[in-house]
Amino acid sequence: MSESKTAGMFSGRKSEGLVLVVDDEPDVRKVVRMTLEKAGYDVVEAEDGEKAIEEIKKGENSLLLNLIITDIRMPNMNGIDVLNYYRKEWPSVPLIVLTGFPDLDMATSMLQHGISDYLVKPVEAEKLRASVAKAFEQREVRGF
Amino acid sequence: MNNPDRTTVVILGAGKGGTALLELLTHLPGVAVAGIADQDASAPALSYARQLEIPITQDLLSLIRRPDIHLIVNVTGDPNIDGLVATHKHSETEVLGGAASKVLWDLVQHVSKIQSQLFQTEKLAGMGTFASGIAHDINNPLYILLAFSENILEETDIPVIHERARSIIEAGKRIQGICQNITRYARAAKDVDTTPVNVNAKLDEALKIARYATILQDLSIVRSFDEKVEVLANPNELFQVFVNLMTNAIHAMDGRGTLTLSSCCENGIGKISIADTGCGISTENLEKIFDPFFTTKSPEKGTGLGLHNVREIIKKYRGNLTVESQVGEGTTFIIELPKVSNSM
Repeated sequence: MSESKTAGMFSGRKSEGLVLVVDDEPDVRKVVRMTLEKAGYDVVEAEDGEKAIEEIKKGENSLLLNLIITDIRMPNMNGIDVLNYYRKEWPSVPLIVLTGFPDLDMATSMLQHGISDYLVKPVEAEKLRASVAKAFEQREVRGF
Repeated sequence: MNNPDRTTVVILGAGKGGTALLELLTHLPGVAVAGIADQDASAPALSYARQLEIPITQDLLSLIRRPDIHLIVNVTGDPNIDGLVATHKHSETEVLGGAASKVLWDLVQHVSKIQSQLFQTEKLAGMGTFASGIAHDINNPLYILLAFSENILEETDIPVIHERARSIIEAGKRIQGICQNITRYARAAKDVDTTPVNVNAKLDEALKIARYATILQDLSIVRSFDEKVEVLANPNELFQVFVNLMTNAIHAMDGRGTLTLSSCCENGIGKISIADTGCGISTENLEKIFDPFFTTKSPEKGTGLGLHNVREIIKKYRGNLTVESQVGEGTTFIIELPKVSNSM
């Protein structure tokens, strides 16, 4: 893991980066938060895409956002639409899809659209953290 | 009743054989059932006949003697009745009794068995449509359940452990609810009898299953229910009918649009409509949608038996199934079923 630019932002401790978690289920967000905070990431939660934008525009979060983990089922928006929605707002922030749909076709199509990973719930904590770490590494390589 | 083109039939014997025969004969357009008789007032087919508004009597002779009857079907299995029929029937009236009626009854049973197997097969084949939706609904709570359980193993703070445990229980209950819904739907209709069915509750129950037909969640549901709509049917068959029509509606909208469910009572008829704002059905296809094996869906999404079965089920309860559709605007299916009469 590289040196983080967002160290100490929320908690005074060294942060690995800021991750936005979007899911309509509070307990799912709580699980993801729990998993990522253990690895030193800071987490911002939102229940849908609209709230996510609101949340991130608050303060300086927008500049600091490193990764989005999102479900792909949201009101008025699904699948590829969801990707385009975030892309428009944050073109360079990598995306991990975390969903309950074990759909190979959708996963393939999304990966072709450039998402960093397609994870199906229930995902093991280690696997989620590895996926997040990989997304951060790719980000560094691309020089975002 | 005495349309010259129709064969007027009376049935003697209202046991199991009588019920099966009534079911079959009332389906046939060329047959009019003029009455059914059994000496036992509690014989099962008598109450069924009452629902179908077919005259019933305990006085067998009164039916045997009628001059306007083309055919007497005797399923009593009682040799004394054979004698009674032979002596008292009108000379023009034909009789189906003894071994012949036994063969007829066996055929009826056979057909009804095949029919119910067909319904069940179609239903189970259709379950594939719901697989993704069901998996999604289970995977979410399952994720919560597994992650919090692992966390509890390491967590030492008792209040946090308790909070996690509560979330785990809630997630477990959600999975339990999903499994109950699925098994209720998958259950074969033959395991239950015809009974008054609360239409509104059944529509809501069916919606829970039909929702699995889409992975999207931007469906608007409009429910417009009259307070109490009860019709007489096999509840599992009606469940299947509703799930089928709602699933079609959701597929027609590609998971996006408004699904309107309504129920009301009009002149002793329970009226149920299921309307979508989907792609609609072309006039050319509208004529074929009830034909067995007609489908515009890909093989994994439809067997082409769904609407055929829906119509067969509705017909069985002397109901009506109509459809209105506009290409590009949507489709409405309307079911009309006789209401449960209060006099019963």
